[in-house]
Amino acid sequence: MMDQPSILIIDENHARAAIIQDGLREAGHADVRWLSETGNLLKQIAEIDPDVIIIDLESPNRDVLEQMFQVSRLVRRPVAMFVDHSDSASIRDAMMAGVSAYVVDGLRKDRVKHILDMCVQRFDVFSRLTEELHEAKTALADRKVIERAKGILMAAKSLSEQEAYILMRKTAMDQKRRLVEVARAIVMAESMLK
Amino acid sequence: MTSNIRVGFIPLIDAAIPIAAKECGFAEREGLQIELVRENSWANIRDKLVHGLFDASHMLAPLAVATSLGIGNAKVPLAVPFGLNANGNCITLAAGLYRALEEILGHAPQDARQSAQALRRVLDRRKAAGEPPITFGVVFPFSVHAIIVRHWLRLGGIDPHNDVQFQVVPPPFMVARLSEGEIEGCCVGEPWNSRAVESGVGSIVVFGSEISRSAPDKVLALRSETVSSEPESIHRLLRTYQVAARWCQDPGNHANLAHMLAQPQYLNVAPKTVLNALSGTLAVNRTEARTQPDFLTFQGDDINWPDPRKARWLYAEIATGLRQPLDESQAQAAAAVFCPDVFDAATGNNALPQASDPIGLRFGPPFDASDLKAYIDALMRD
Repeated sequence: MMDQPSILIIDENHARAAIIQDGLREAGHADVRWLSETGNLLKQIAEIDPDVIIIDLESPNRDVLEQMFQVSRLVRRPVAMFVDHSDSASIRDAMMAGVSAYVVDGLRKDRVKHILDMCVQRFDVFSRLTEELHEAKTALADRKVIERAKGILMAAKSLSEQEAYILMRKTAMDQKRRLVEVARAIVMAESMLK
Repeated sequence: MTSNIRVGFIPLIDAAIPIAAKECGFAEREGLQIELVRENSWANIRDKLVHGLFDASHMLAPLAVATSLGIGNAKVPLAVPFGLNANGNCITLAAGLYRALEEILGHAPQDARQSAQALRRVLDRRKAAGEPPITFGVVFPFSVHAIIVRHWLRLGGIDPHNDVQFQVVPPPFMVARLSEGEIEGCCVGEPWNSRAVESGVGSIVVFGSEISRSAPDKVLALRSETVSSEPESIHRLLRTYQVAARWCQDPGNHANLAHMLAQPQYLNVAPKTVLNALSGTLAVNRTEARTQPDFLTFQGDDINWPDPRKARWLYAEIATGLRQPLDESQAQAAAAVFCPDVFDAATGNNALPQASDPIGLRFGPPFDASDLKAYIDALMRD
């Protein structure tokens, strides 16, 4: 088998595909391609003719790939899902990370495992980034609401910024609520009283 | 697994029993906590069941048999203790191809035989003109959908292996692929056929219930080791599903069922869409509707009881599809996947099925589970 297996990534998520591609290239895999448009999928795969296919588990197109297990007229080489029964834990890890791999017959198991492990790692990195981004966005939105509520209190009760903040803080503690919830209530009440 | 069960499902109307079992509180009454996990592909369903991320799952009946026999993937023995439905699928043709059938017939095709015979004439013409063959979209290589299309084609004298091609298309992409011309026909469950009709992309030619009365469509599948390791939980689950099946079948509950399934965490569609399929009345083209009371069946002795003869039929159909000769040891292994003893032990059932033919094919070679060879030979000959 060739030294450098060619790898095809099927993922509609551009950002994630980029992260995986980078990871594989850094690990020395030069021949990495990516498909996001999945019409005529088997034909596209036949043209690229990869040794390894990486696909995200959220994609309904996994079922299209199943057709390659029977020798499909469209695909030249027999393809199998990468299932290493000696290492069921790593398959579970891959599934939990949301990634699955298919390989052509004859490719060395350890090579594929290395590629799959890299992809699992990158999928995890991507999930973490998405989560962090979500948290950052939420934090930013929360801060905006708190600023708004503070402004409303300052105008309505002629308070300083500091006093408005302390009042909200105290209310939150008394009511056992989060500061942002109190702020939201103030903003909502104000919009109703307008 | 004790009393907490993780069940995988694909967002389809025939996931009604697993969903209703939880939502109506039937499971709770049996002391079961059910966690439903939605998936986007049958491949995910199979892999997560096989690798223990699910305890049980909504599954294509032929996939349960294929997985147990190691056809198309790693061999992992599964057990099917409950059938979830019969039928609910349609064969839909792209607008251009449907028009060609209408031109030949002088009217819209009215039944399976008419449409298949008209299709044969279209195919002959196309062949003579050197045009490419027609490709049919089906939801999975091992599916009742693929089997239904093959039976329908044979009815028109069309060889399913040489005259047409098959292509797996996930249901959410079916209408788009029809519209782009990648496929010219498909077999899929609702609401995808109705979507094609509503958008003018295609017309329905056949309801699955016009092909067979009780071919197993989706089943409840478990790892077979779970049957012996967790008998008490499985029995509770089956009792729950039996109650849920009765509830889902009752037309008086269909409005509630439609709203339940339509929710964002399940099918995420309009309740009306679900209700149409439950009612068995669908618009088949721009001007006509068709009604079949048994369009989709959830409950009945020949639906829920996992008849091993049905598993033998599934094996025969899989082998025919792959053009493999009959292997009686494989047929026996297939039969063992459907486990009526588990169903009977859980529900207290002691009746045997009444029907001499568990599939109820409406045409084509008769199916006798004790003579698979004759059945397979007849299919191959057609």
